[in-house]
Amino acid sequence: MATLKDRIEEVRKAFEEAAPQAGDAKSVEELRTAFLGRKRGRIMLLFEELKSAPAEEKREAGRLVNELKVAVVDRLQALENGALMAVRPAREIDLTLPGRQRYVGRPHPLTLFQEEIERIFLSMGFAIEEGPEIETDYYNFEALNFPPHHPARDKWDTLFIKGDLLLRTHTSPVQVRVMERTKPPIRIICPGRVFRRETPDPTHLPMFLQVEGLVVDQGVTFANLKGTLEHFLRALFGEKVKVRFRPSYFPFTEPSAEVDIECLVCSGRDPDCRVCGGTGWKEILGSGMVDPQVLKNVNIDPEKYSGWAFGLGVDRTAMFAFGIPEMRYFYENDLRFLRQFGAK
Amino acid sequence: MKISQDWIREYVAVDLPRQELVDRLTMIGWVPETVEEKDGDLILDLETYANRPDTLGHLGVARELGALLRLPLLEKDWPVAELDEETAAVADVQIAAEALCPRYCGLVVRGVPVGPSPEWMRRRLEAVGLRPINNIVDVSNYVLFATGQPLHTFDFGRIGGGRIVVREAKRGETLVDLDGRTLALEPGMLVIADESRPVALAGIIGGQASGISESTRDVFIESACFDPIGIRKTAKKLGLATDASYRFERGADIGFAPQGARMAASLLTQMGGRASRGLIDCYPRPPKALRVRLRLRRVAELLGVVVPEEFVVDVLGRLGFRLEPAAHHAWRVDVPTFRVDVSREADLVEEVARFYGYDRIPPRVTPVDSFPLAANRSRERLARIRQALLGQGFDEVINWSFADPEREAAAAGGRTPVAIQNPFSNRASVMRTTLLPGLVENAAWNLNRGLEGVHVFETGNVYYWVDEKKHREDLHLGLLSTGLRPGAGPSGAPAEADFFTVKGAVEAALEALRFDPVVFEERDHPSFEPGSALAVLYRGQAVGFVGTLRAAFTAGASVERPVIAGEIDLSALFGKTPRPFEFVPVPKFPGVVRDFSFLVDRAVPYGDAARILGRLDQPLLEGFELVDRFAGPPVPEGRVSLTIRLRFRHPQRTLVAGEVDKAAQEIIGHLKAALDIQLREGIN
Ligand SMILES: [Zn+2]
Repeated sequence: MATLKDRIEEVRKAFEEAAPQAGDAKSVEELRTAFLGRKRGRIMLLFEELKSAPAEEKREAGRLVNELKVAVVDRLQALENGALMAVRPAREIDLTLPGRQRYVGRPHPLTLFQEEIERIFLSMGFAIEEGPEIETDYYNFEALNFPPHHPARDKWDTLFIKGDLLLRTHTSPVQVRVMERTKPPIRIICPGRVFRRETPDPTHLPMFLQVEGLVVDQGVTFANLKGTLEHFLRALFGEKVKVRFRPSYFPFTEPSAEVDIECLVCSGRDPDCRVCGGTGWKEILGSGMVDPQVLKNVNIDPEKYSGWAFGLGVDRTAMFAFGIPEMRYFYENDLRFLRQFGAK
Repeated sequence: MKISQDWIREYVAVDLPRQELVDRLTMIGWVPETVEEKDGDLILDLETYANRPDTLGHLGVARELGALLRLPLLEKDWPVAELDEETAAVADVQIAAEALCPRYCGLVVRGVPVGPSPEWMRRRLEAVGLRPINNIVDVSNYVLFATGQPLHTFDFGRIGGGRIVVREAKRGETLVDLDGRTLALEPGMLVIADESRPVALAGIIGGQASGISESTRDVFIESACFDPIGIRKTAKKLGLATDASYRFERGADIGFAPQGARMAASLLTQMGGRASRGLIDCYPRPPKALRVRLRLRRVAELLGVVVPEEFVVDVLGRLGFRLEPAAHHAWRVDVPTFRVDVSREADLVEEVARFYGYDRIPPRVTPVDSFPLAANRSRERLARIRQALLGQGFDEVINWSFADPEREAAAAGGRTPVAIQNPFSNRASVMRTTLLPGLVENAAWNLNRGLEGVHVFETGNVYYWVDEKKHREDLHLGLLSTGLRPGAGPSGAPAEADFFTVKGAVEAALEALRFDPVVFEERDHPSFEPGSALAVLYRGQAVGFVGTLRAAFTAGASVERPVIAGEIDLSALFGKTPRPFEFVPVPKFPGVVRDFSFLVDRAVPYGDAARILGRLDQPLLEGFELVDRFAGPPVPEGRVSLTIRLRFRHPQRTLVAGEVDKAAQEIIGHLKAALDIQLREGIN
């Protein structure tokens, strides 16, 4: 006589033969009754038989019956799901089709980049200030310690309107206006459009965006300028980026510093690098301690207060950060270019 | 400016490997833009600064390197072989314009055979990119590039009466310069004249007639100091820029003028000439030496680092400053005449910082003890508007603030544009008065490159004259939509943009501001097709337009398909106060909805019905919206069917059917009375 173990094997085989035939919900239900039916189900009968099995067989056979039951239950569930799917006419829904999206417009890359810069300074307690783009000679030059007819003005080649009106060549006039109407502590950034009389080429345009910043308070030092700008550049270009401050000249700061970061393209390893010219460094911003004459011009006592300021071209920095070879791309407004940056 | 390492070594014994030299120069502010090896010499093209004319010669750069490397500046003798004849006996110098020429030195060198200069001098000049001409011209260039002091050499035989008069030009005088140009002179321009006429444009360029030629026997050497502003004005006016004017307009070393003349005389006598005895030195009013106070504590206060006292004294000394100790770790500092950039304590602190090393100043974040409370309202509002428009599927663009005057006229805003005096291009010679032409350009650019639709917006300023004297710049929003809208899925055909795309975007943008709702009113505008534009009114004030752009306007940019656009004056809106935000409880009781359709004359716009409904005093009416509108069969000709959904609700209880019916009847009564409507279905 076959052992209980053999009979369990027999039932398993029978189920496996019958299962593939069950194509619709009805036959799956019949299969369930035949094997799991409470009274006559073949697996249920095995459980009955188990009760009277000899002790030495009971343990092993019990495990096998239980395993079989779990397998049958799972298989029946799967068959049932399949049967339900089969009810729907094939291919009415192709789930592999692309999802339906609502198109959301993309911000201009310069706006995106400028907002990134603003966010970093806002987190350091700076406020955002703006001012007119058509300025006077006084705010654009004289208050900033550019004497009339000084060759220093040549670097800020100017588009003139009439009388003493001109298109601002930097957003520094906003700094002057804020210092005129506010008592220190002052901690601002001034983003905006600026204009220069430039013949367009890959890295020069007659209009571009700038962000300048200014801090005026008691006890502000060049060390603060360094620390804050280093923090800013690391926040913008990554924690590990190397930053270098070197002496320079601007009429409105004393001492003045250009700030370079290491070339992200070649890290100083390519003597013919198109981005850094092989120096390994890329000039990113100009900065310095606010010239005492500038403070005097706005009635802030330079003996009591000191300050630092910086200025950065948004376009050129964005070119560097994104590896964009020509500045004019930003103003051609080719949507195939602009739309790439929404995902940035 | 090109600097030769060999030449530098005449002044200071620098011996650094190439890369170290480059790095160390950079870190005191002298960035070599190019570095090249040439015949065993190293040529560095250094970036120059407008305030440092002293470094426009090798001596000045050598002084910087000496201070950096703590090396002494090497002195050189300039012996002059002299004649018996006194300079003053053969030449007479008069300064008739002291303000423009504070110092003038000169002497005569006789019997110089004009010819090529010695090999060593030619090599020096060629190293820094100059072409040797003849020994006399080369000597003045040599002195200029060695020391930064511009000289001029005259053929003394051509100076009428041996008289040198430094004076302003007279009206109508002219001068043919060394390059053969005839310069029209005028008062205010400084000239060097002989007894009858100008022989040179002072500090800028010499005259042809008095220039050095093969027949020159005797040379008058001029070494002077001219007023920087005078030189700059004259050079700009005449469109001239020379090595001499470049230096004089930055400020020459008034103390060096005699030495410059002596150097040149020494070199010329080495070439066979003999100098007249004694130097003419016209120096009517020598200025008092500039003296600046420097406090050691101030160095620390500005730099945030304590620099040792010995370092300060040593480096400033090497740079040519004379320090006289005063009380409390301070000094009275005499500024050398070649440092025209130094006049305040901060200038000296910069010198200390440069040589101490910016990299040795420890970085410290600026401490914060207060944060600004006032938000920048205008930017906050702008951000809301931008967000809303992006959400409506419009891409952001940034266009030039400049405009083509013809395009600007075609846009026909009627405002007087702000013209640029010196535009970089005639097609960008005014400032824009409207954002629309820029947006149309964007549409043209993208359509021409195969895009099927363009939906863009820009926020930026427009500029115009209010009257003769007063200008304005206003922040505007411009938006434009043409062609297929992006982002249609597999099951839906992409929709063509129409008027309501733009109108809806304007509504969404302005709703984001929480202002009172704007009202649209049919009104013509020259930029838009007649009868297809709406004015956007805020509390009765027109703040913008939306509509279909005039075909002639868009065709000007070669856009042939219909273009819908709008422009809103955000400056006008941002000046207003938004509604205070108020929380409204979610209704507790169910509302009732009633749809009804009616026929109305086609000439009656929906806006009229909406206005009547909006003004009703019907407390149970919570709101209404248009759910359908159509014309054509079975709707009779000349009429249109509108279906409007009325929403009723009572805040404190559930509505009873009877009271809703009654309210609806009243509402329909109002519409009937005002618009001659004819009910189709729904409520009757
Ligand atoms: Zn590189």
